[in-house]
This record gives sequence, structure tokens and C-alpha cells, in this order.
Amino acid sequence: MATIEVQRQVLPILGNPNQGARFYNPDLPSSEPFVPGHRTCAGCGPSIQYRMTSKAAGDNTILVGPTGCMYVANSSYLCTPYNVPWAHTQIGSAGSFTAGVAAAYEAMIRKGKWKGAYPNIICEAGDGSASDIGLASISGALYRNHDCLIICYDNEQYANTGIQASSRTPYGGMTTFSPPGPEVPEGKKLYPKDLARMMAAGHPHCYVATASVGYPIDLMNKVRKGLNHKGASYLMVYTPCQKGFVYETPRSIDLGRLVVECGLYPMWEWNPEKREFDYSFRPQSMRPVAEYLKLQGRFGHLHAQHIANLQQFANEQWQMMGIELPEALIKAADVKNQTNMAAAAEAEQVALTV
Amino acid sequence: MATATATKKKVRINGCVASAQAAKYADVDVIAAYPIRPYTATMMALAQMVANGELDAEYIVADSEHSQLSIAHGASSSGARVFTGSSGVGVQFAYELYSPISGSRMPVQMMIADRTLDPPGDFGSEHTDALSTRDMGWLMGWACDAQEAFDNHLIAYRIGEDRRVLLPQMVCQDGFFVSHITSDVELPDAGQVKEFLPPYKHPYPLDPRHPVSHGPQIMPEQGPPLQLERARAMEESMAVIEEVHDEFAKIFGRRYDPWVEEFMTDDAEVVFFMQGGHAVTARFAIQHMRERGLKVGLARLRTIRPYPTERVKDVLSKFKVVGVIETNMGLGSPSSGGVLYADACAALYESEKRPLVMSFMAGMGGEAIVLKEFYWMAEKMMAAQKRGKIEKRTHWVGFEE
Repeated sequence: MATIEVQRQVLPILGNPNQGARFYNPDLPSSEPFVPGHRTCAGCGPSIQYRMTSKAAGDNTILVGPTGCMYVANSSYLCTPYNVPWAHTQIGSAGSFTAGVAAAYEAMIRKGKWKGAYPNIICEAGDGSASDIGLASISGALYRNHDCLIICYDNEQYANTGIQASSRTPYGGMTTFSPPGPEVPEGKKLYPKDLARMMAAGHPHCYVATASVGYPIDLMNKVRKGLNHKGASYLMVYTPCQKGFVYETPRSIDLGRLVVECGLYPMWEWNPEKREFDYSFRPQSMRPVAEYLKLQGRFGHLHAQHIANLQQFANEQWQMMGIELPEALIKAADVKNQTNMAAAAEAEQVALTV
Repeated sequence: MATATATKKKVRINGCVASAQAAKYADVDVIAAYPIRPYTATMMALAQMVANGELDAEYIVADSEHSQLSIAHGASSSGARVFTGSSGVGVQFAYELYSPISGSRMPVQMMIADRTLDPPGDFGSEHTDALSTRDMGWLMGWACDAQEAFDNHLIAYRIGEDRRVLLPQMVCQDGFFVSHITSDVELPDAGQVKEFLPPYKHPYPLDPRHPVSHGPQIMPEQGPPLQLERARAMEESMAVIEEVHDEFAKIFGRRYDPWVEEFMTDDAEVVFFMQGGHAVTARFAIQHMRERGLKVGLARLRTIRPYPTERVKDVLSKFKVVGVIETNMGLGSPSSGGVLYADACAALYESEKRPLVMSFMAGMGGEAIVLKEFYWMAEKMMAAQKRGKIEKRTHWVGFEE
């Protein structure tokens, strides 16, 4: 059978990856595949991520949107913010629908039924879709190595349905399905599923990385690396949710940096050629988790013990990346050195009045 | 235009392989497979065709039926011709996708070789698997042998991909009775298929050069127009279905009634009304009963969605007694039997000459409906005719005297 060779796109990597959010980069593409005017909340982390991601991908792109905030709040009432083809799919169909699009383009280009360079095929799944109901479908797409990029925009909860715990919700995170009470003072008792690492371990031929909206150029570069990689790629991106995390809306990007600086969102890349993790990303500083937690109402109920537990969890993350722990962080994992959130807030209030 | 028939050939294959052959002749682009008996053999045959280089298609082994249908949805949305299939509980595992696929008007094709639902794990054929999805906006009908299965696949692609229709199709055959019994099948010349089935071209695929959004979220008042449009598509497909069957007969020389196939009904008084492979046995049973002078006939439903209401009314009104053979479960249904009875009665409601209607639970669990069971059912129907009324709406065949 005579077949046509499939031409694939190569996107350039941007300079200054580890810069802050308020930084002008002349290399940024001007195209906006994700336009303003949608109905996401003020400060919405996932939509900030969506804009950067689609900007990095450019116009020869197809987006797949399983059910979640980025479906309901973006494409509400037959309006659409997508300047490139976009399709809704079921929340459990993230990987499979995307695989269908990828397979269609492979076959159609090969058989001469569609002429042009293979498009960037990007799936934007929330963490509910990516870590729970659509996990198998995404694993299937990665395993079969379709040429596509699957992004988990991780706001650590089912936000679209009104803030319910997902398997990405952190320990201690209050949601409507993990409320704190006298019997369960910490709210969420379980620690989050280590989703990205699971994807890297189980699909070592894929490019896998974690990223955060706090580091936009790094995020866009990881998108481009994922798209340039021939085969399947996976990104898990920290995207804070003002509604569920309960913080001041202008602080989304700050949270995106703080979560990395306090070790709760390890930043790494899995290199499929070398078959190893790349832990070379370094935040500008390392901070205790309390600095991150205290900005968010969802952690307002935590006791000293819970904060110490989260510090311990963060310390383990640092160690997993081979990073030496400063004395202060080791101490912060001891309950004796922590105070309850309520007490801390009260003390702060007193300090302000005095 | 002269039709090429140079490489037409007769082969001896089963229903599963006939379906795979049809997918090959349709030059499908994407195949989504997942194993479950008995339809698996179709996907086995296709895998071999791809491995041999006889068919250029992306062959995807999905991680579940839900993923199979999602893959099919994604690929069809992108402009590829797609083939998938399943059986039994597999059909139901994918249930979520049936409405989104028909709602986005993607002409995905799904082959079904029927299998009972659990419990307990039974490999036998019952039509409940596919019938449970009958109101999801898919064109649906049953073949009774391998040749008809092959033909139905090509016919269904042509109907479903027609711009006046754009609906997915479930092309069904009984598990084992059709899927695993070999018979003579005429494979056409590729030129015949080319003449009959134009390349798939969806008007609004996911194409970066013409960006479109598929399936945005809506307000309640935006729902009804979309639902009405889908309902109209189903309704208006009826004219296309007739047209395509005519066209098929012209090119391939086999003429099927798209709705109801009648067998020995000219002077029949009692008639079996059924779909699928057991109709083959029914034909023999009827011939034997005719030899004994009994006025028995058969009306075989070939398309159940869209339901040919007018046609069913006209056909069934000619008889004194209609015996609906279910081969499906409709627990708690109007007849306390299967689901075909209610549709048949609804079609007959406006008839001026309504026959007596009764139903038979036969072929359940995938058991063959043997000749003497057809005789038994005919006796029940004739007794009702004599009595002028039915004894009861549903008889479980094999459980009564």
C-alpha cells in the first residue's frame, strides 16, 4: 500500500524558563487560540494555564475537553473561547477521545485524505478526570503512544461540581466531600495520588513533567517539549482554584510559586530517552508549608499536628528529588514548632490591632 | 454506468468474519477493538488484515468498551471512517457514549454480536444488549445470516454518513447463530463498493483550518432545538434508508426490504413477528407447517430504529394473530416479557383491523429456538384465533404445557 509520510511540527523552546510571572518575553507568540470573554472565575488558575498552553501550541492545534470547569465555564451556552478546533468529551474519555483524534489524523494523512502537517493534539483534563474517572483511558493513550499531549490541569478537586475531593486533593484540604468536624478534624485524611510520577513510571517511553502556572515560560516550554516529542506526553500542572482554595483572587500566580517553593508541588521532568527524572529545576527559595497554607481558607481548620504532617510530606518530596533539607524545614515537621491555624490567625489579628 | 464485478467471489465465512470483510471493503480508517465474546472474532480478523497489509487502518486495542466508543467518537469527529463493536455487557459498559455520539451527529459504526447480559456469565445470544440502547439515536437493525450482515454494514455506512442523516449505526447479528455459523457469502468487487459508498466527509470535522467547537455546554432552553433536530434526523432518515436499499439492489443485485421481510404471508392467518437469526429456523418451521396446511407466516423486522411504524401497522394488520418472538428481556415491561411487543402494539393502535397480539419469550439465554417450539407457538396462536382472544400476553416457551 502506498502511504504518505506524516510531517510533524517542531516548536522552538523559549529562553529564561525560570523567570517570574511579571516578566516580558519578546519570544512569546502573539496568537491566542484561547480568547477572553469566557465565564471562568476571577483568578481562575486552569484558564490561565489554558491560555499559556494553547499560546505555546499555536494555531495548528486541536483541543479535547473532557467534562470539567474548562468545559462548562468556557463553552457555556453555545459560546466558545476556542480559536482552534475543540471538542467536548465525557469526563472518563479524556485519553480515549484524544487517542481517536490522533489515530484519525495518522490514518487520514497517511492515506492522503487530509493534507498538512500533523496537528498538535492536546487534551485538557481536570484532576478529577485525570486522576479518577479517566485514569484508565489516559493510561491507555500513553501506553499506546499516540502522538498527543495530555494535560492534567490540577486544581486538586472537582471544582466544577462545587468543590468535592478528588484523589489529587491534598491532605487536610477542605472540600464539600471532606469537611472537617469534631470526628475528622483534618478534613481530608488521605494524601494525594502521586499522579504524574505514576504516569512516568508506568509509561517510561512518554515525556512526562510537572509544571505550575507560577512559572509560565517553564510551563510553555514543557508544553512544547511534550508536543515536539513524537508519541504521547503528559503534563500535570498546578492551577489554583480561587473558589475552592478560598484565597484573594490576585494571588493565583503567587500560590503557583509558593506551592513549589514549599515543596508541595515537586517540579520535574521525566526524560524518556535517558529513562530518568530530571530534578534540575530549583525554585528561588525553599519555604515552610505554613506560608502556603495560611493564604487559603481550605486549610483554615488545620491543627498544629496537621501542619506538621504536611511539612513532613513536603520534606519527603524534597528528599525524593535529592534536595538537602534546611534545618528550619526539619524543625517545622515537628508538631511542637507549629500552632493551630485558628490560633495563628487570631494572633495575627491581635498583632494588626496593636 | 456498468458496474465492475470482475473480482466478485463466493467465500464460506461466519458472521464475524463477514463483518470484518465489510469493514475492509469500506476502507475504514480507525478500528477500536476490545475483546468480549462472541464479537471478538471480527476484531481478530481485522487485526490480521491490518497485519497482512490488506487494510490500511489505525487498529487500536482500547482499554475498555467505554474507551472504544470514545476513540470511535474522537476519530469520527476528526473526519475518519470508524469501525468498532461489542457484545453483551460490553455494549453496556460503553453506554455513556451512545447519546453523545448521536448527539454530535457522528456516523460511527458499531457491530454487535448479541450476548446475554450478566448475571450469570452466559455466552448465549439475547438481543437485550443492543436493544437496551435503542432510544439513544442510533440506527439499528438485525441481520439473519452472514451475507445479510456483510451487506448491512455497507448499507449502514452509506445511510449514516449521508448528510441528510449523519447518525451512528448499530449493525446487529445474533451471537453464535449468525456470528459463528459459516455460510456462503458473496464478496463484491471493490469497484461495486466504490460506486455504492462514497468517501466519508463530515461537514464540520475537527480541522485546524476551519475551527469549530463540538458539544459546548448549553442552557435548558437551548436543549429542545437540538433534541428536535436529532429526532428529525432519525425521522427523515427513513426516506434515505429506502433510497439506499434500492441503490444497493441495483449495484449488488440483492434486494432487501429495509423494514419488514415477509415470508409466506400471502394467505397467512397467524404470523411470527421477530428479528435476527432465529428467523432462519422459523422459515423452515413455517414450510413444515404449511405442508400440514396451516396458514402460518413470518414477518421479520429488519430495522428497529427508526421504527417503521406505518409499515409494521400495514403488514401486521393483514393477519388474525401476531406472535412476537422476543429473545430479549424487558423486565416489568407492558407485556411482562420483552420490549418488541410494546412497539408492535403501538404501531397497531391506529389500525382499523387490529390482530390479536401475544408474545413469546423464546431463545432466551442463547438457546436455539427449535422447530417444535415454533410449532408450539403456532398452536398457541391458532388457539387464540379460534377463541377470539389471547390467553395471556406473554408465554415463556419451554416453561408451559
